[in-house]
Amino acid sequence: MANASVLKFFDCNCAFGPYRTRVFRFARTAGELIDEMDFGNIERALVYHTAMRFDHPAVGNWLVVRETRGQPRLLPTLALLPSQTGEQQPLKLLLSLMRQHGVRALRLFPDEHRYFLDDVTWGDQMAVFMERRIPLFIRASLDKIAGLLRSFPNLVVVTGSQGANPLDRYAWPLVEKFPNLVFETSGYLVDGGIEEFCKRYSARSLVFGSGFPDNAAGAAMLTLARAEIDDADRQAIARDNLCRLLEEASLP
Amino acid sequence: VNPSPIAREYLEQGYSATCPIIDMHGHLGPFYGCYLPSSPLERMRHRLKRCGVRRIVCSHHSALACDAAFGNDLMQEVVRGHPDEFLGYWVINPNYPEATARDLQSFYRLRSTVGVASVLPIGVVGFKFWPDYHLVPVTSPRYAPALEYADAHRLLVLVHTFGESPFDAPGMLAEVGKRYPRARFLMGHSGYGEWEKSVEVARELPNVYLDLTSVFQALDFAQMPGGSLMPRAPALSPHVNGLIEYMVATAGSEKVVFGSDLPWYSQHYHAGAVLFAHISDEARHDILHRNAERLLGQHLSAG
Repeated sequence: MANASVLKFFDCNCAFGPYRTRVFRFARTAGELIDEMDFGNIERALVYHTAMRFDHPAVGNWLVVRETRGQPRLLPTLALLPSQTGEQQPLKLLLSLMRQHGVRALRLFPDEHRYFLDDVTWGDQMAVFMERRIPLFIRASLDKIAGLLRSFPNLVVVTGSQGANPLDRYAWPLVEKFPNLVFETSGYLVDGGIEEFCKRYSARSLVFGSGFPDNAAGAAMLTLARAEIDDADRQAIARDNLCRLLEEASLP
Repeated sequence: VNPSPIAREYLEQGYSATCPIIDMHGHLGPFYGCYLPSSPLERMRHRLKRCGVRRIVCSHHSALACDAAFGNDLMQEVVRGHPDEFLGYWVINPNYPEATARDLQSFYRLRSTVGVASVLPIGVVGFKFWPDYHLVPVTSPRYAPALEYADAHRLLVLVHTFGESPFDAPGMLAEVGKRYPRARFLMGHSGYGEWEKSVEVARELPNVYLDLTSVFQALDFAQMPGGSLMPRAPALSPHVNGLIEYMVATAGSEKVVFGSDLPWYSQHYHAGAVLFAHISDEARHDILHRNAERLLGQHLSAG
C-alpha cells in the first residue's frame, strides 16, 4: 500500500460554528476549522454552519456563505426546507443563489427541522434535484431515506452518518436498488466494512466524511487510510468521488 | 500538522512498534443484531496483526446474548488456542444465580487443583457484565457473589455502562466501585453521554477506569440493536470530539484504557481518535498500552 500520509482527503461531513450543548472541542469559525483540518490531515471540506442545523436554515445558509468566502479549502452547502411554508426562496431563485455562491450540494436535516421525507412534502423540488444531479446530503435514518428513494429512485443522496451500529443489513439492499445512493464514511466504522463494501459493490458509492465535531477527528481518516483496499479506490473515496459528484451537479 | 511521531507511524504503516495497542474490550463470534465482517476468528486475528495489537481481552457474544455457559466455553477455546493474542472475560448473567454459583465453585476448586494463584481459568482475567441487556441493575444483589469474588482476588470487571441508564449509569458504577474497592472496574463505553459524571467517577475512585470503546462517534439511539433498553435521552451529548482531551485533562491519562469492541468496530478508527487528539505522546502510550499492561500484569507474560 502507498504511504497513506500522502493521501488527499476531501471531507464531505464537517461543521463549524457554535453549539447550544456542550461540545468539548469544536471549530467556532472557518479559520478554526482549517486549523483542525491541518492537524487532522484533511485538505478540503464541504462544510455546513451549525446554525444550518441547530438554528434556522435561513440564518445558517447566510452564515456559511459569508464565513467561507475567501476560504478556497472550504466549500459551502445550503440547508433545504420544504417549500410549502414559504421559509425558503422559491426553487428557481435558490438554484440561482447556489450558482452565485459556488454551492453545488444541499443538506437536509429532517429530524432537527421536523418534516417528512416523502413525495407529498418534496414532490415539487426533488424531481428538479434528481434531473440536475444535485447531491443531497441527508442526515436521517435509512428507512426514511428508502422512502424518499422509492419516489425518486435516481436522486443523488449521500448519507450514512448515523451512529455506531453497523447497518449493512439495512444499507446493502438499498445500494443494490438505488444507483445514486452514496454512503459517507464518518459513521462507517464497522471493522472491515469499507473493505466488504468495495468488494461487493464499488468504491464509487463511498465518500469520505469525518463527522467533525459530532465524531472524533482523526478516526474516520485513519480507518480509510489503513483500509485493505487498493490505492485507487482509497484515493477515490478520500477525495475523487466527492469531486465527481460535485462536478456532475448541473446548475442553470 | 499533528507533530506526533506515533500518529505518523500509524498513518504510514498502520501500527507502531514502540507504541502497540492492548485492547481491553473485544468480543468473539457473530452478533445477532448486525453483520460483522471481521467476526470469523481468522479474520479477526488478521485484523489484530494489521493494527499492531499485542493482546485483546474478549467476551463471547453467545455468552452475552443467550447462553453464558456455552459462550464462556467458546471463549476459553479461543484463549487456550491463541494465548499470545487473546485473553478472556467470563460473562456473568445475573438472571441465573445458580449458574454464577456453579461458576464460582468451579473457580474455588481451581485453586486446589492448579494452585492458589489460579482464581480463574487460564487466560481469563475477570468478569464481563452487560446490565443494559440482561436488564438487571449493576447494583443488584444478584451481582454480589461475582463482585465479592472479584473484590477478594482483585479481578478486572468490565461493565457495559451507558448514560442515564437505569441499569448501569456511571453513578451506579460509582456505588459498586466504592462497595468493592479491591476489584478493578472498567466502565465500558465510559457511561456514554453522561461524560462529566463518568470522568468524575474515574477521577475520584482509584479502582474505576474509563474505557474508550465506541465513544468516538455520535450514536443514533433509534438504531440500537434490539433487546437493549439503552435510553434515547436527548440530553446526552451527541457530539464527542474533544472527549478524550477532556478525559485526560480531568481524570488523567492513567485512568483511560483502549477498547474497540472488535469485531464490531475498527481498531484504526479508535486509534485514530487517540492519535489525532490534542494530547501528549506520553498520554497516548498510557491509553494505548501502558495502563493495560499495569492492569493485566502477569497475564501478558502467560502467552
